[in-house]
Amino acid sequence: MIRKSLTALTLAAITPIASAQTVKMCVFDVIGANGDMFNMVKDYALEMKSHGVDFDLKPYTDEGVAVGDFNAGQCDAVAATDIRTRPFNRFTGTVSAVGAIPSYDDLKTLLATLAQAKAAPLMKQDGYEVLGIVPAGAGYLFVNDRSMDTAGDLAGKRMATLDYQKDAIHMVNFIKATVVPSDITNFAGKFNNGSVDTAYAPAFAYEALELYKGIGEKGGIVDYPLAQLTIQVIAREGVLDDATAQASRQVAWDMYPQAMNLISRQEAAIPEDKWVRISEKDVEGYQEMFRQNRIEMRDGLNGAPDVYHPKMLSLLSKIRCSSNPSASECTSENRE
Amino acid sequence: MSILATYAGRLVAARNKLALLATVVLFAGCSANPIHKVTGTVLANYAESEATPYVMQMSDPKMACALGEGVDPLIYSFSRINDAPDTSGSLLMLLAANCMEYRAWEAELDYLRADYEGNVPQAKDARERAKRFYALTAERRLIAFQRAMAAYDYDPAKEPLECPFLFSEQDEITFLLGLLTGLQAVVNDANSGARAGIPRNIAPQAERAATCIDNEKTGGLPNAVRAMVWLLLPDTRPELSPDPWKVLENSSAMGVKAGMRASMALEAVAAETFGRTDVLADVIHRFAEADDTIEVWEKYRLADFVAEYIIQFSSDKYWMAEYGYRTPQAFFGKMSSEQNNENIETMSLEGLL
Repeated sequence: MIRKSLTALTLAAITPIASAQTVKMCVFDVIGANGDMFNMVKDYALEMKSHGVDFDLKPYTDEGVAVGDFNAGQCDAVAATDIRTRPFNRFTGTVSAVGAIPSYDDLKTLLATLAQAKAAPLMKQDGYEVLGIVPAGAGYLFVNDRSMDTAGDLAGKRMATLDYQKDAIHMVNFIKATVVPSDITNFAGKFNNGSVDTAYAPAFAYEALELYKGIGEKGGIVDYPLAQLTIQVIAREGVLDDATAQASRQVAWDMYPQAMNLISRQEAAIPEDKWVRISEKDVEGYQEMFRQNRIEMRDGLNGAPDVYHPKMLSLLSKIRCSSNPSASECTSENRE
Repeated sequence: MSILATYAGRLVAARNKLALLATVVLFAGCSANPIHKVTGTVLANYAESEATPYVMQMSDPKMACALGEGVDPLIYSFSRINDAPDTSGSLLMLLAANCMEYRAWEAELDYLRADYEGNVPQAKDARERAKRFYALTAERRLIAFQRAMAAYDYDPAKEPLECPFLFSEQDEITFLLGLLTGLQAVVNDANSGARAGIPRNIAPQAERAATCIDNEKTGGLPNAVRAMVWLLLPDTRPELSPDPWKVLENSSAMGVKAGMRASMALEAVAAETFGRTDVLADVIHRFAEADDTIEVWEKYRLADFVAEYIIQFSSDKYWMAEYGYRTPQAFFGKMSSEQNNENIETMSLEGLL
């Protein structure tokens, strides 16, 4: 009897391991397994273990290779920036649409909305499913001359632009600046050695990539979020069942405060005098400029790439008008 | 005559009294007790000229780290009344940080064991403990880095680079260990969930400063530091420089030659960071293999033993995640619990059964 009970107990103890489903995940972090993002994904993975999923994480410092390995079937899931994961889900890939989320409060509303079970159908597209979205910080414009504080001043300037980011390339061309094709590993060097006049990046880059060198005495960081970068976890559809996939999105949403804490610290590390504050009137002008461009990139008009999802743009418009009902776009005829 | 003698005697006595008064006034000007000042100077000099070489020759990293935790506040407290003893202060704080890191390692192994067993609450608890310890480690390491830079009047942010004056081998090693500690602080901070808030630009600063140290003399460690940063921040890698993984491997070989395998520890950390399990297996194997042949650089024996702890932990982490227990002694240098029985002769049991 005792032996039987012991056997039963032993079996009960090993059951969680036996029933856990192993999912290989390629994880992008600029600085690999000892990076902030990889560490957050470790927390996510640990939490998911209580939902019966055992993630096997592999670090990648090259985002293109991480997504490539995911495509080649070497991993069942991938965690990477939405700029790279856009092809897997156009709806969530539109979260980083230019100028679409002007504040972290709006971002919070958006991510809470997307974590709801009701949003689940929007998380699936062409055989892939979004398992979670975590903020990675707003992208800001770094300039080597702070007198460049209006879009007009950027005409003719050289801007380091991610060569795979179609919407950014369109915007750079729109403001008549010169695209200098770059990637995550070399844009900072170009800005710091003066071969470009401007670059855009989250606050993280200021200290880690020493962007203060490129800013020098005269430059600064324009205090206007150009886009909200997020890290998205994408899996092949069916890797997790519907209930577990929804639990995963909830787990990722629960990590919002942790991610924002990291982002706030990174933004606070930038000295106050390096921020270039722009007037309320100019902000309104940019909001409208970006809005018109988003519509073009939704519909593929005037040579714009067709990259944004109409439903996400519409949701983002609702969120903006809820937090700022007096904005001119809220009464505009061509609302997103 | 006697009147003159008496007068002269009084004059000497008066002069002595005046001198005493002047001394008292002088010391009253400073708020510090003169004995404290003298003690501070003596202790700081002793720490630098005797205690440091003694500790550097030790082969017990845990005892050395306990010394750091215990003695650092005493030695460095003299910075209140004298010049800050930054050279000894940097090494003591470095040792104290190692103690905290060993606690973090234990917590991390607990986390991996609980994770292996599927015990999520216990794994979460252990991971939180590890993060707290890593944050404290990072804070101590930042202080050690700052003291090492201050000790040699070196401003790591200054460009163009101006190398510090390093008069002795001990100065070179202290400065180099300071740079390595700064780099470790960045890694520890990330593992703490960025709660220590360590400036991330220490990494490129350490890369530049490492060029100030003779690479060959110090067991390839300066180039290993540089190669690690090149991997972390590819932008910092000079044009035409060799592949960072090759540099790390060469540095490790130089470390074995010099009798201080700190470069190997860095190669192992790089392998973990970039998910290169192949390199990790290889470096652990090379480290274990060198155990039989290495002639440890006696003057800096502690550095080799600290490196051994790091390699042991890397191996233990792997074993814990894969098998749920630490590396058994006979398997140090191997990544699998399978015995190699290929070339072992066995006898037929026919006739016995």
